[in-house]
Amino acid sequence: MVKFFLDGKPAEAAEGTTLLQAAAQAGVRIPHFCHHPAFPPEGSCRLCLVEIEGLPKLELSCSTVVREGLKVWTETDKVLEARRSVLEFFLSDHPLDCPICDKAGECGLQDYFREYGLSQSVFDESKEKRGKKVPIGKNLLLDRERCVLCTRCVRFGRQVTRTEELGVFQRGLKTEIGIYDDTPVSHNYSGCLAEVCPVGAITDTDFRFKTRAWFLEKAASICPWCGRGCNITIEHAPGFPRVPGSRRIYRIKARYHPDVNGHWICDVGRYGYFHLDADRQDVILAKGKILEGPSSWEAVIRFLGARIAGLRADKALSRVGVVASSQLSNEELFLVRRLFLEDLDIRKIFLADPQEGTPDGFLLTAERTPNRKGAAEVGLKFGLPDLKSLAGELDLVFMFGLNLFDHFRGEDIRIFLSKTATKVLLTSQAPAASEAFDFVLPTAPAAEKSGSFVNIEGKVQGFAPVRPACGQALAEWDILLRLAKAVGVNAAFYSGLNGLDDIRQALDREFPLQTLKA
Amino acid sequence: MKAEFSPGLLAAIREVAGRYPKPQAALLPVLHLVQKEFGHIPPEGERTVAGLLGVNPIRVREATTFYSMFRRRPMGRYHLQVCVNLTCTLLESRTLLGYLQDGLGLRPGDTTPDGLFSLSTVECLGACEQAPCLMVNEELIGNLDREKLEALLSRLRTDHD
Amino acid sequence: MIDTVLTENYGMESLKTIEGYLKCGGYKAAAKALRDMTPAQVLDEVKKAGLRGRGGAGFPAGLKWGFVPQNSGTPKYLCVNADEGEPGTFKDRFIINHNPHSIIEGALLAAYATDIHTAYVYIRGEYEFEARLLERAVQEALTHGYLGRSILGTAFSLDMTVHRGAGSYICGEETALLESLEGKRGQPRLKPPFPAAVGLFGCPTVINNVETLALVPAIVLNGSEWFRRRGLPQDPGTRLFGVSGQVAKPGIYELPLGTSLREVIFEHAGGLKVGRILKAVIPGGLSAPVLTPDEIDISLDSDSLAKAGSMLGSAAVMVIDQTTPILSVLKIVTEFFANESCGQCTPCRLGTGWMDKIVDRLAQGQGRRRDLDTLDRLAGGIKGRTLCPMGDAAALPVLSLVNKFRGELEEACRE
Repeated sequence: MVKFFLDGKPAEAAEGTTLLQAAAQAGVRIPHFCHHPAFPPEGSCRLCLVEIEGLPKLELSCSTVVREGLKVWTETDKVLEARRSVLEFFLSDHPLDCPICDKAGECGLQDYFREYGLSQSVFDESKEKRGKKVPIGKNLLLDRERCVLCTRCVRFGRQVTRTEELGVFQRGLKTEIGIYDDTPVSHNYSGCLAEVCPVGAITDTDFRFKTRAWFLEKAASICPWCGRGCNITIEHAPGFPRVPGSRRIYRIKARYHPDVNGHWICDVGRYGYFHLDADRQDVILAKGKILEGPSSWEAVIRFLGARIAGLRADKALSRVGVVASSQLSNEELFLVRRLFLEDLDIRKIFLADPQEGTPDGFLLTAERTPNRKGAAEVGLKFGLPDLKSLAGELDLVFMFGLNLFDHFRGEDIRIFLSKTATKVLLTSQAPAASEAFDFVLPTAPAAEKSGSFVNIEGKVQGFAPVRPACGQALAEWDILLRLAKAVGVNAAFYSGLNGLDDIRQALDREFPLQTLKA
Repeated sequence: MKAEFSPGLLAAIREVAGRYPKPQAALLPVLHLVQKEFGHIPPEGERTVAGLLGVNPIRVREATTFYSMFRRRPMGRYHLQVCVNLTCTLLESRTLLGYLQDGLGLRPGDTTPDGLFSLSTVECLGACEQAPCLMVNEELIGNLDREKLEALLSRLRTDHD
Repeated sequence: MIDTVLTENYGMESLKTIEGYLKCGGYKAAAKALRDMTPAQVLDEVKKAGLRGRGGAGFPAGLKWGFVPQNSGTPKYLCVNADEGEPGTFKDRFIINHNPHSIIEGALLAAYATDIHTAYVYIRGEYEFEARLLERAVQEALTHGYLGRSILGTAFSLDMTVHRGAGSYICGEETALLESLEGKRGQPRLKPPFPAAVGLFGCPTVINNVETLALVPAIVLNGSEWFRRRGLPQDPGTRLFGVSGQVAKPGIYELPLGTSLREVIFEHAGGLKVGRILKAVIPGGLSAPVLTPDEIDISLDSDSLAKAGSMLGSAAVMVIDQTTPILSVLKIVTEFFANESCGQCTPCRLGTGWMDKIVDRLAQGQGRRRDLDTLDRLAGGIKGRTLCPMGDAAALPVLSLVNKFRGELEEACRE
């Protein structure tokens, strides 16, 4: 560790740390645009200049490395004057777009302007007129008047995706970012470009004009769309919607994790949130009728519990089938195994996952489910039922999610269901053919419950609800636990489980996974 | 769409590219060859050059838009580039520029309708002892005055005929 | 009688051919070095001579060569900086046109001293004629065994390629030159790392100006003490002063460092034109702050000019007389730097553009006195804050013009 002085106070940092990083570690924020932790220092924005004792000129904190005994000052008059000056230069050719700019409220230029108290502008000339809605690919629009030429977007294309769609054209004040004629951004990480832009130059049409950043609440979660388990932040607007029936989840952003997804998430995950607000199954359907009222869950669970208990008494549990999926959390899969396989000795347990896709060579995995490894950890493997031979063999089937429809023709599924006496569907999305099921039970997706997934590299990651479950929805672990208690099997075990933490502990005792990190 | 490069041009490009450990380093010399051949660098030519040097076309465009000698629109047969930096201005190059503008009916950046002359202003050409100077395509002409300018234009007109 | 180092035989037409060069003692230094001296001895001689870079920065050449690592495990490169973009400067063109082989021999000696085997001459795109001259000289040198494999029968080899730029002043800055040579936009790089460690294609690289290298053969042949007989202890030797502007005899004058500016203008360059009065002198190219007539009794050397708030730079002396409005000089300065800014860093990109817009308005007769205060403040905001020295080059001349000619500029304002 290197000992140095930060604003007069002793500090320490690992060798090779830049002053900017070291200051951040000590809680001191130094303004910057072109610096991004994913890239080597760029040094072009000149905002991060600091004063180093003994040196006549201000130095860049983004590229100066800590040295033993170095004394750096981040808020002297000289430094503040330089910051004001650099900001003044930026603003001299920046449009007054704040009222119509999506970035307002989370804009580096706004924040630094406010923090470093700029005075009135003395710019009395004409600003450069540039393109304000330049399509650069997928959901992205480039506003060249707002661009501060930090070149993060260009470097992202060169260093991360290596697709190099964006370049820097012209020189001097005419310098601008752009794509080459017919080669727009088309990769699976386009959303990262809007995220990486420190101002409102690159905006995402998915978010454009939808809401204001200050209305959004942010909560951490894990992306459920593939085996990578990228860390995400879900941004949503609680309270009444501005437009009745409109969505509440507005945006997903990447959340940094050094071992899982770094600074990035792919477009599949970034734009995969519409299911949270649209086509939700938020009511209990029993034989096509909505079961309302505070005791509706109790009624359904009691009925199903009795059904299972009855089949158990008749030694007919071989006529019960479970189609789960590895989209369920570790805790839920543990309960599936515990209740159905071990306590009820039900052998016909299948895992139907979404159709596999093409991995993109970076984050997106072929498996489009977040917890296949977790399923394997608790001894459940992906395996599809043979619907044809199973048709007519079951009196009771529990189906978690609608993934069977990815693998079988709707007709074949309908035939299978019609030959099964009682069909229970647990789903967060409303099915097209809800009448094919006796019970449609609303479940909470990952964003609305607690749980954990094991990603493709074996890393256990926990998540907590971003918002309360929608309507009557319950987490699958909650439903399974209630069901287990209603069935009455292994009562001593289940009576000791009174919440998710208890389930986790039980899971850890039997299948020790790594310590969970929420 | 790619521009048609003659076998001679392709051979010259390959020869130049071979002088560098990385073919991308040959970009500027290659673009000079292309500009010499076509009088400017046609946009489709950017893609062809990119393919020959193993770089993305966007890198070629970065260069053609950065360097002031590269022209991306067709130029006149004779590109008159008048220096307007300090020494030449002190020695009346802007007056000569005015004569050219009036005489040819051009503003800097324009080409005559007959495609014969284009006019540009440029920065210091490094021949200040001969100020005022201009370049015609790649030829430097110094110690200009109005007479020499008239003579130059006649010579160029007759050469062309 | 001026004790020249470089321009001794510049009157000879044949000097530009290898036969003529050899006849005048050309490549004798190379023979002496490659046969009788070690690379360390060559480097030492140049260090002892105190040769400072002639491009504009004035960094000691021997010191620069010494930064190149001995065993880098990678190729090493030598770049001859023939970009000569500083307005008012034409000395390198002069050397190439008169004595191209002196550059090749100088490069050969530099490469020998630093164990470099590949050299590129980066020559500005506008010097097409000079580029061809150099290419011809390179071919001659190859044929005669002064370039290529086994030079002069020794184990030393050096390849040289002439590489044309394409119109960009900033490519005279050494790291922008490297970027351009690599086929990219000419944008200067962050330093550190310095080119001696990470340069062309990421390998150790030496970049020297044409005139600097052209002086090396004479130093190696005659020794550092001989060289130091001219000039000043801290700035030895001679320089090619390029005098232009409103003088009677514009041209190149090889004079010892320490010559006074007054002498250069009035004795060598013939003084002003008939009936004219001196108004201002720029001593080192357009990037150098301006000097007023009462400041011309100054020694032309790096340190004296720096102390006086200007710089020797490329030793390009530009003479301005009273018939020239200082506003037109200011306009040329701001327009030039706005045109040539690479656009990479904030103060230069936005600052040069803003300053030029203000001066444009002044030139249209729409200026106000407070605009001069703004110019002063903006230039102050650029100074010392940019990624490369061009920021200072853009700012300091503006500061000097606005401060030293405030009265005249105020008169040009409408309020």
